[in-house]
Amino acid sequence: MADVPDQLVLKVARDREGRRDVIARRIGLSALLVFLALAAFNVFGQRPSTTTAESEAAKLEVYAPERVRGGLYYEARFRIDAVRELENATLVLDPGWAEGITINTIVPSPLGEASRDGRLAFELGRVPAGQKHVFFLHLQVNPTNVGHRSQDVQLYDGDTLLATVDRSITIFP
Amino acid sequence: MDIVIRAVVMFLFVWFVTRTVGRRELSTLEPFDLILLVVLGDLIQQGVTQNDFTVTGAMLAGGTFAVMTVLFSFLSFRFPRRLAPVLEGDPVILVEHGQPLERNLRRNRITTEELAAQARINAQIAHIKDVEWAVLETSGQISFIPKNSS
Repeated sequence: MADVPDQLVLKVARDREGRRDVIARRIGLSALLVFLALAAFNVFGQRPSTTTAESEAAKLEVYAPERVRGGLYYEARFRIDAVRELENATLVLDPGWAEGITINTIVPSPLGEASRDGRLAFELGRVPAGQKHVFFLHLQVNPTNVGHRSQDVQLYDGDTLLATVDRSITIFP
Repeated sequence: MDIVIRAVVMFLFVWFVTRTVGRRELSTLEPFDLILLVVLGDLIQQGVTQNDFTVTGAMLAGGTFAVMTVLFSFLSFRFPRRLAPVLEGDPVILVEHGQPLERNLRRNRITTEELAAQARINAQIAHIKDVEWAVLETSGQISFIPKNSS
């Protein structure tokens, strides 16, 4: 009868006493599957969602992802439906839209850009009653940008607030 | 600094995946496995360095992986009973006195056919009954000790 090879203990190497490697592997694999399933359900971005707000004068719709990952490109679409004529439609965005995020293009170009109490203001001009104005931002998340911040959007006609969309963004590494 | 953190996180993730997948899957380098490993390396690199194309960034990421490798090795060496089984796994006996241990084979997803093939390839042993010991090592290789050598 041959000896057991050196450094092998039968209780461990043959009988696996005190070893939970199979259970640990199954738990680990389950954790991986849960992680992948969460990703499939958009937990880590970056499927866009639609948020709307409206008043008697206009309806504002924002279509953009609320969860993104560092380094990725994405698009935000703003749609204004004018119920009555808007003399000077202005979109005011929280700084979270640009904090650690590169704005690659703005389409169509606004008539003017300004800061309104620390927020980004885009003057879009006149929108006749019954018509719509669609405005796109093409963005890229800076790779080192991680966290959660507010991305509220407000629609003004001149200095009159018409509608507010409450949004936030979560950026994963 | 964030590139070091990303490198540490990805190192731990790769360790977690390799320990979860199992050693047999990683020890065989069939053409498909080889391609998978190369692709996996590329995916990991992108997550670690992202848009950083600098020499400094590459040195930080590579250096972090090197330090983590040495750290894991040191921990296994320093605490062989407590940490080595967790970090590297431990050997599993698959054949004892010519008898395959079905429970251990099943736990490591190794078929009798694969065991016989490994015996032929690695030890030129035609029959499992001629194997005194077969041990699945921590590297994923199966070592065979024939009966007549004991």
